[in-house]
Amino acid sequence: MEVQSTNIVVESQPLKFALPVDSEHNASEFRLFSMAAPHMRSFHLSWISFFCCFVSTFAAPPLLPIIRDNLNLTATDIGNAGIASVTGAVFARIAMGTACDLFGPRMASASLIILTAPAVYLTSIASSLVSFLLVRFFTGFSLATFVSTQFWMSSMFSAPVVGTTNGVAGGWGNLGGGATQLIMPLVFATICYMGAFKFTAWRISFFIPALLQTLSGFAILIFGQDLPDGNFSGLQKSGNKQKDKFYKVFYNGITNYRGWILALTYGYCFGVELTIDNIIAEYFYDRFDLKLNTAGMIAASFGLANVISRPVGGIMSDAVSKRFGMRGRLWALWVVQTLGGVFCVILGQVGSLTLSIVVMIVFSVFVQTACGLTFGVVPFVSRRSLGVISGVTGGGGNVGAVLTQLIFFKGTKYTKERGISLMGLMIICCSLPIMLIYFPQWGGMFCGPSKMVATEEDYYLSEWDSDEKEKGLHQASLKFADNSRSERGITKLNSATNAT
Amino acid sequence: MAISSARGLLLASLLLSCLIHECYGKILLSSLQKTLQVTTSTKQGVLKAGEDKVAVTWGVNQSLPSGTDSAYKTVKVKLCYSPVSQKDRAWRKTVDLLEKDKTCQFKIAARPYDKTVQTAEWIIEREVPTSTYFVRAYAFNADGEEVAYGQSTNDQKTTNLFDIQAISGRHVSLDIASVCFSAFAVVSLFGFFYLEKRKGRSSQ
Repeated sequence: MEVQSTNIVVESQPLKFALPVDSEHNASEFRLFSMAAPHMRSFHLSWISFFCCFVSTFAAPPLLPIIRDNLNLTATDIGNAGIASVTGAVFARIAMGTACDLFGPRMASASLIILTAPAVYLTSIASSLVSFLLVRFFTGFSLATFVSTQFWMSSMFSAPVVGTTNGVAGGWGNLGGGATQLIMPLVFATICYMGAFKFTAWRISFFIPALLQTLSGFAILIFGQDLPDGNFSGLQKSGNKQKDKFYKVFYNGITNYRGWILALTYGYCFGVELTIDNIIAEYFYDRFDLKLNTAGMIAASFGLANVISRPVGGIMSDAVSKRFGMRGRLWALWVVQTLGGVFCVILGQVGSLTLSIVVMIVFSVFVQTACGLTFGVVPFVSRRSLGVISGVTGGGGNVGAVLTQLIFFKGTKYTKERGISLMGLMIICCSLPIMLIYFPQWGGMFCGPSKMVATEEDYYLSEWDSDEKEKGLHQASLKFADNSRSERGITKLNSATNAT
Repeated sequence: MAISSARGLLLASLLLSCLIHECYGKILLSSLQKTLQVTTSTKQGVLKAGEDKVAVTWGVNQSLPSGTDSAYKTVKVKLCYSPVSQKDRAWRKTVDLLEKDKTCQFKIAARPYDKTVQTAEWIIEREVPTSTYFVRAYAFNADGEEVAYGQSTNDQKTTNLFDIQAISGRHVSLDIASVCFSAFAVVSLFGFFYLEKRKGRSSQ
């Protein structure tokens, strides 16, 4: 019997999906301009809602010149609020990962988005440092939708395109962080023009991101769907999907060492990205004497580069995987992230404005591409605990941001340029553990696949114990194992096909 | 030969323009004469932005020889941050170079210079933030450059300061709207869950 890695399943019923699908009904093609349910519709719902969450979380920074006068904040207060905004998401991302595994991305993400919208509405009544810190902290929880985005895409799209889909959804969501630097000042200026006074206008402005966030949450509930075949609850009732236990899912996820290595390395691509978002405007303003507006536009452009860089990372991961499989994905990730670190070191050393901007752009491209490449590897680490792995990795990104800001960019111990160069060195060092990631069925960076017979089925079914297998709980993982055979790369795949 | 003389000319003109630029627009506070006397009068306690008034009086120091003020054409009176309000706030930093100085950000009055003592009563603008302040007056010459100044406090900026409390910017309608929208979002979410559960039960 000929075994192909992706099958268009010939079923007794007519094919009911607009896109070609594999045996799990995951789409094997990514058509950007389609809105077809359920695959592409889920894609558009997830990136748009993630974009709205990013807009809300970073809505305060562009309006800080007004807010700091209204609430009487010092520079230290502003720094702490920035750290608070990314701290909340650390545990929220891990919790979100588990929630996705148990309840499905539709319920999990819509609930989080709608439950954090009040924090954005209530920002408009903040009247002191404490209330400001609290609203930024709770609004930051909404960044956990990153995890549900990646989980959802990994559940809807199959191995050959999962990197691309994750990269585009993640990148276009991250765009919100750059777009908000342009949206909020515009909204604020419009409200001022309509006659509101400055200290009131900024408060009214926050209703815009809050409303967008609420609407996107409801759109997910109304139009979204967890899996190609339906929602978790429906599938669990009809017996097509087994309800899993929290403890099992969680334990299985956190005991997989690959998730922790990826958490560390993601802290030094995405965490670095968040850190730069917070400090780069001030860096250009102070070191090169630019106007605050100009420095702000440079800060925005760093975030806006995500529209291309992160998707390119995902596309690159999938392209490399076609030829070299998982080993290619790992090598690409290590090379790109290390080069990002090198350019970061250089950024701190250059003294001229033009050269700084050029190096910053190159650095941003490498760092954001590395983010995309990371989530080309994550979907394969675990199938049963995909959410937990995504959550741990995503949370690691935020931890990296908090740590880096605390070590290098708080107080006056290091100048900003020295801090940036040291951060670059840390990126290079913290990317080395990628060399330790090893999949018995596919290999790692330096070792080939295990000489003993090791298949995708062995790896994914080892997540279930014999009782669970008897009950048939592992069926979905079995299908995924079959579909993930493309991660062997072309040469190995040919020999596998010929052998059977 | 022609090239070197052309280069020499370019260098000379660059140097000249730099020197001109040096003289023009690069005025330091420390280079100004402190000839104006400025006094402020406010009510006791913390002043409220948008409501309370500051009365400022300024004039040239009469004990100085006459003719000191011959170049003064206009006077601008400004509200300035005191050092305690500048701490840990780089956007209010005092810099000697006047065009980069951010100490005085609010204009109280701008008048043509008059030899007699002038007063202005200023209702504190609503956008003034909560801080401790003093008042400074700059005298400008016909070219619009600062030539002299005076302030209502001493050189260390520690005496005769007054506090202003900003408006909060909050309104009752805004408070109600934000609470209502938040409540609506949460209630709708739980309403959704309930409907889904009912639909699930009825379809069985």
